[in-house]
Amino acid sequence: MPIDAATSALNLSFPPTTSATGFVVPQSRSFTVSVNPVVLFSILDHYLRRQENQHRVIGTLLGVRSEDGSEVEVRNCFPVPHDETQNQVAVDMVYHQSMFELHKKVNAKEVIVGWYATGSNLNQWNALIQDFYSKEVSPPFQAIHLTMDTDLKNEEKLLGVKTYVSAPIGISAKPENCLFLPVPCDVKYFDAERSGLDLLASAKDQPDRSTSLISDMDNLEKTILVVQEMLERISEYVNKVLDGSVPANNKIGRFLMDTISVVPKIDKVEFEKMFNSHLQDLLMVVYLANMTRTQLAIAEKLQLLLFSETRKSDSNESKRDCDYVYGAWSIFHWPIFDDYSSEIMLYCEGHLKPTININH
Amino acid sequence: MATNGTSTTITKESPSNVNVTNVTAALDIEGNVPLESVQLDGLIIKHCREFFPNTVTGQLLGLDVNGVLEVTNCFPFPGPTKYQVDMMRCLREVNVDHNTVGWYQSTYLGSFVTHKLIETQYNYQQTFNNKSVVIVHDVSRSTHGNLSLRAFRFTQAFMDAQRENKFTSESLLKNKLTFSNIFEELPITIKNSHLITALLHSLDDFENVIPQGGISTLDKETVTGPLTPNFDTLELSLDPYIEKNLEFLLEAIDEHGQEQSNFAFWQRSVTREQTKLQTALQKRKQENVHRLAAGQELLPEEEITKLFKLPPEPSRLDSLLITAQINNYCKQLNQYSGPTLGKLFMSGELQKP
Repeated sequence: MPIDAATSALNLSFPPTTSATGFVVPQSRSFTVSVNPVVLFSILDHYLRRQENQHRVIGTLLGVRSEDGSEVEVRNCFPVPHDETQNQVAVDMVYHQSMFELHKKVNAKEVIVGWYATGSNLNQWNALIQDFYSKEVSPPFQAIHLTMDTDLKNEEKLLGVKTYVSAPIGISAKPENCLFLPVPCDVKYFDAERSGLDLLASAKDQPDRSTSLISDMDNLEKTILVVQEMLERISEYVNKVLDGSVPANNKIGRFLMDTISVVPKIDKVEFEKMFNSHLQDLLMVVYLANMTRTQLAIAEKLQLLLFSETRKSDSNESKRDCDYVYGAWSIFHWPIFDDYSSEIMLYCEGHLKPTININH
Repeated sequence: MATNGTSTTITKESPSNVNVTNVTAALDIEGNVPLESVQLDGLIIKHCREFFPNTVTGQLLGLDVNGVLEVTNCFPFPGPTKYQVDMMRCLREVNVDHNTVGWYQSTYLGSFVTHKLIETQYNYQQTFNNKSVVIVHDVSRSTHGNLSLRAFRFTQAFMDAQRENKFTSESLLKNKLTFSNIFEELPITIKNSHLITALLHSLDDFENVIPQGGISTLDKETVTGPLTPNFDTLELSLDPYIEKNLEFLLEAIDEHGQEQSNFAFWQRSVTREQTKLQTALQKRKQENVHRLAAGQELLPEEEITKLFKLPPEPSRLDSLLITAQINNYCKQLNQYSGPTLGKLFMSGELQKP
């Protein structure tokens, strides 16, 4: 999903890269950048924690590239302290190096792919820093510059994220002159992160911007409500089309039909059989888990009870009683479970996936 | 990482009793563990997912504010090197809270009650005056559509027992320590900053979802944005997860059985030694009676008792941990089966004409 609106800028061809032998090789592949949401959040967090006199902050982007270099995935980032005055800009390179070393120890696959800055205008400092980072990024790849609009002045695009690569411009190639070419960028995430992202998003509608973790059941309920709402909207639309109040759109109609026909048509008897066996398996597992927990709870109570009784009695007698207690405890503890329940568990395993052979 | 205060008066009270101005008493954390920064979840999840299925650990940084432990940043740990010191130094330069408040660990299907966890958490809790938590993230469970993130802390009872490092039956009773008493789970709340809320709103923006070309170019693949509704929770397939869980449960029960047999063995050896002791004492008493009759000195009985040494009781920590783990597995099975039953009946309804 592209983040920024389609720009009306010309799509210039990418700057030619120089290969090892010194020949100029033009790059003609299309180039996309995908960003992990963690990176965006980190950038904002860094911006919140900036020093008082800084208007914007910069940092390094880490990520991986695809084989042919045409797709870059930005996975991680870290902030780099920098100073910006009218006349000069200073970037703490030592810090950058040491942080990169530290990060590499944890994740060797991530390499430097560029840098980020908050504040959406591009000036000559950007060009200089871009030049520095181009040297960091192993040639022949381009360093990516990501900007995030934290001024929130641009009303159409709150916090617009844009990515650029640079091309030299001007009569002689000086580091402070370069042209930033926009590159399409996407937000991509992994499955496990998806649930986290949803949780964070649920906080955005609350007045105090906070939310707590919900149980699986509640989550299911929420999702079902969403589906229900969607179905209601669709049925309303279909009713309106049937009434004639809304013109019919063939494309939507076909889309809806495709969606609904996804529900498989299973023979009724077959379905009953499958349903019941599935239900049986589930209930069996639940029963087993509950029985185990009950057994543990009983053993625990018994343990505490018997031990507390022995402490009251005399020392001589207590030794004898202790033996008695230990004996009684071991009787209550596991033999019931051993015989009966391990059978049940083997049944469950066997039934759920008959290809596994368990030897117990 | 200096500890606060000189004495450790740990009390569990409601937030109104927390005394902020008293320097000598250590503050205790109350229920909530809000994660102030959005990125923290993201960083933990990202790190855990990358090294799945190995378990990874990392450090949590943040602040303790008025009885509420706020976690604002985190970083992963590659191993016991001076990585931590270097990282903290670097983070200090960019104004990140560099106050350690705990650590996190990823886990596979909830099997996190191990010795290593106990040791590490004990160290942390000891050093930071009970203000540190361990956050456990279950990667495989998070892919089912609901984020699984739990925060734990040791109870006072367990801390005492661990301090003495004695886990015999008497010490367990003295501290009223059972397997359900080891951990105390703390509720987690998530708070976003304003900027991040703005970002989330913009990601959800309507224009981003509908492609520019209009409806005629509508296609299944184009309409996915970061915040479009997530239907992972509606997945019907359940067998792999429950199977794995049951396998783990079986293993844990086997181990428990072993522990039990160890304990029974010790018991038997104790009774054997005791009977031997008793018979020797009896013999000694008999001899003494004879000697009394013959007018000779009495032989002391204490020598006999010294000869027979009772074997020491084995540590019950392992069985405690295993039972806690078993309990965890069972709870997981329960929690997973609940929604699955719901989904099953839902699909049943769909089939009806």
